[in-house]
Amino acid sequence: MPAAAPSTDLKIGTSHPEAEHLMQHSSIFDVTIDFSRSHLIFPTMMAILLCILGLAILATRWRGIAASLRSDGHWPSGIDQPRFFGTLVLILVYFLAMPVVGGLFPNRGFGFLLCSAPFMFALSVLYMHGRDTRKLGIAFLSALIATTLIWYLMASVFNLTLP
Amino acid sequence: MTRFFTELGLAAGLALISTAGAQAQEFPSNVRVVIGSTSTGGDTYQASSFIASALSEKLGINAKVDAVGPTEAFKAIARDPSGSTIMIHHDQSYLGYLYGIKGYEDIFATYKIGPTLAVNPGNAYLVPKNSPYQTIGDVLKAAESGTRVRVAIQPGGVSEIGFSALKNAAKIASPGSEANIVPVNTGSQADKDQLLFDGQADVINGSVQSNEQYTRLAADDQKAMRFVWLTAEGSTIAGGNESGYGETGRDALAQFASPNASVTLDGSSDFTFDKVFFMMFNKDMDPALVAKIDAALKEIYAEGKLAETLKANFFVPAYRPTDEAAAYLQKKNDDYAKVIEAIRQ
Amino acid sequence: MELLAHISPMFVLLVFVGTLIGIIFGAIPGMTATMAVAVCLPLTYSLGLQEGLALLLGLYVGGISGGLVPAILLNIPGTPASIATTFDGHPMNQRGEGEIALKLGIFASLFGGIFSLVALYFFAPALADFAIKFSYVEKFLIIFFALTIMGALCSNMLVGVFSGVLGVLVSLVGAYSTDKGGNGEYRLMFEFMEPYLSSGFSLLPVLIGVFGLSSILIEAEEGVPATASTTGTATARQKKFRLTIFRGQGVNLFRSAFIGTFVGLLPGVGGSAASIMSYSQAKAFSKDPQSYGKGNPAGIIASEASNNGLTGGALIPLLSLGIPGDATTAILIGAFTLQGVQVGPLFISGNTDVWNMIIVAMLLANIFMFAMMYFAIRHIARIVTVPKYILLPIILVMCVVGSYTINYGIMFDVWTLFLFGLFGYLAHRIGLEIAPFIIGFILGPSAEIYFVKSLESFGTLTIFFTKSWIAGVLWLLIALSIAMSVWMAGSAGRAARDPK
Repeated sequence: MPAAAPSTDLKIGTSHPEAEHLMQHSSIFDVTIDFSRSHLIFPTMMAILLCILGLAILATRWRGIAASLRSDGHWPSGIDQPRFFGTLVLILVYFLAMPVVGGLFPNRGFGFLLCSAPFMFALSVLYMHGRDTRKLGIAFLSALIATTLIWYLMASVFNLTLP
Repeated sequence: MTRFFTELGLAAGLALISTAGAQAQEFPSNVRVVIGSTSTGGDTYQASSFIASALSEKLGINAKVDAVGPTEAFKAIARDPSGSTIMIHHDQSYLGYLYGIKGYEDIFATYKIGPTLAVNPGNAYLVPKNSPYQTIGDVLKAAESGTRVRVAIQPGGVSEIGFSALKNAAKIASPGSEANIVPVNTGSQADKDQLLFDGQADVINGSVQSNEQYTRLAADDQKAMRFVWLTAEGSTIAGGNESGYGETGRDALAQFASPNASVTLDGSSDFTFDKVFFMMFNKDMDPALVAKIDAALKEIYAEGKLAETLKANFFVPAYRPTDEAAAYLQKKNDDYAKVIEAIRQ
Repeated sequence: MELLAHISPMFVLLVFVGTLIGIIFGAIPGMTATMAVAVCLPLTYSLGLQEGLALLLGLYVGGISGGLVPAILLNIPGTPASIATTFDGHPMNQRGEGEIALKLGIFASLFGGIFSLVALYFFAPALADFAIKFSYVEKFLIIFFALTIMGALCSNMLVGVFSGVLGVLVSLVGAYSTDKGGNGEYRLMFEFMEPYLSSGFSLLPVLIGVFGLSSILIEAEEGVPATASTTGTATARQKKFRLTIFRGQGVNLFRSAFIGTFVGLLPGVGGSAASIMSYSQAKAFSKDPQSYGKGNPAGIIASEASNNGLTGGALIPLLSLGIPGDATTAILIGAFTLQGVQVGPLFISGNTDVWNMIIVAMLLANIFMFAMMYFAIRHIARIVTVPKYILLPIILVMCVVGSYTINYGIMFDVWTLFLFGLFGYLAHRIGLEIAPFIIGFILGPSAEIYFVKSLESFGTLTIFFTKSWIAGVLWLLIALSIAMSVWMAGSAGRAARDPK
């Protein structure tokens, strides 16, 4: 059974008898910090401040906010949906695949190597305008060379861990 | 460049065959040593990289050290029973649990304890050079006579265990007086030193490595300090480098350690704390692989080259094979659990 | 000349190589000076003390300097310390003045580097003794001062402060770290997040997420227009870089280099605070504060002079107290120990040779940094002519590598990149401000620890005013900074209501 973290309400200012005496005349500015609860002090302060600021923004700018909510043409209309959502999907697949592939060959960075090249190529094709053989070729080479180079430098030369 | 193409070919080839099971007896060729520290400048990283490179050479593998920190390191070995991931950490790994720090589990139940490797004997307590406390005994006496003594520590582990021992000793000497030893909870060594300079702490936890030069400053320097206690066992220090550290020799250091400086554990024997580095594995790792590591380390330590490197960097070689290590750490764990339990309010 | 006795061809070569690798690490979004030093540390085992330090110090200076390149050209800070460089650097690049901005940054970097080196060489022990006068209280006030810039960074002060406070709050997610003296308890998260977020979100993935990934998402949303990479091409208008651009910037240069050096020497305050503080000072004392953030060269000068000022500054506590001034110098301690050199208050007097060699290495590194970057700039600036369909995937993969490797191989950091990329995109859609958010995020944890520890130690709020004369000076600066923000918000408001 783990013991609880040491909880000591510590006030160094009170270490000397004189100081303790002075502390009796405590003013409204005096605070005692309970160490075991001290992790909540700053987050609470910030959360309250954030709420106040949020309300202030609402109060000063509610007209603009309401207008933008009412206006037509809600997101995602008006954006390049194939490219935007395509990017998100590709990133998701890429991130999910990397550790899985990497797990097959522990600690060699092959997960990165084998996933990044197709990902880069796919993303290039997605972003390309007027796809032709030349551009596709450039994208293919770039994906292949860039990933291999990065992998070689990071995993082999600098001996860093890659997925 | 040849190696580069070989690796590339290997990637393509290995993609076709399943690697599970078939080669479990072989030691994995690429091993990741995760450590319980995020610092690449600290003692854990240093000790681990000596061990990892010695093991790499002995086993013909590529072992690299990753400073991922305790939480991530525990997760990494919990995930991987293949032996490709092993962890090196020190007493913090069970002390964190004893102190109830979030993110720590009972290592004896959750992981397989591996061999112990080395001790860093540097864990120390210091006072300002002009402090009225000459020895750690003076500190305890002061607490007994009702003086508040503020000790700057980092809560929840290695830095706190010596502090807990002080409280425990005070309690044994005079029940109730332990309340006079109060912690000043802080973080890095810089913060602890700063509290001493500011007069916000009477005693600080520090280390021989980072504070030795401060003990050589002239007494009128605001930064001057004095060792009062090293938590390591006197015999551990005796096993280290003869020249000690900096300009403080081994024998001088031993003056601050048990039995010369005594903080009692139970009224009869001294409390000591050797910060020992040891390995941890996944619970389900193949015992054959563990045996391989044990055998390799045994040879490495017998050869003596690693021991020399460790000593030169102020570590004390402390190899114990897996079984012995588990019993040794379990005993430490139980002793310290008692100390922490005794002073719990 | 005693100093020159330490120069061997190998020594010079290693400083050169170190600086070059450092610049490359710094220039790649997601790679930092800290990482450069960390990955090269094992290489120094086989080198001697002199050669090892030559390499590492080159890496350090190069790594800090390289960060300005992506900050200006891609609007992604290469290292956390170059955030403030994006504020004016990127607008200049969009105007087609990328090359000028880069050269400006390099000059300022050189100045900052040399300034801090002089401070290091002549005043290290005295400065270190001054640094230890800064307790929790003064350090909190320094952080608070840096935070006050949040309001002045964007057109609407309220939104800026809101974004900044949000950044602070997000930075507090996870454990109240025992490493910094907290109690290790979790806050601001649900139980299912604990396995991932016990140590909170890492800075670097958050940084390149909100700057890098989000800008790729914004590009994607706009259909990745087929033009070259940035809106203006750097070579479109052949504006020449002239040293006259520095006219009237002398005070700014000195002040920024001083702030950089000074903040660098305070352990635990952190390098990013330095460039932010000098930026806000440059703006506060400017005759034309409204032009900041829209491509004012003075903004780049402030940021770059101070982040290179860090290099010498952070070495001061390392070499005269044995305490690292920042994350990179923390690794240098390891390098020293391995070479059998003990750093601490007696280091400089006891190791004159090593000390001189460090100074020479730093000086050379600064000169090499300047020479390499100055002459490479023309080519580096052409990165913007690479077609986007090639460039963006490379940037993205580099961001992934950086996120994964920054903490030595943690997949959650890559997901952090994704999450904050989405957040950055969303913030852009709903009008939150990224710059104050990230400043809040960077400074939040230090602000917390110093604030709470001040109260824990002294038990009264009045301590922030009464601790020392240094606190008084800091309050003066804080008041000035806040007054500046309010005045600017007011005049911006008047300008909006009364458009002549």
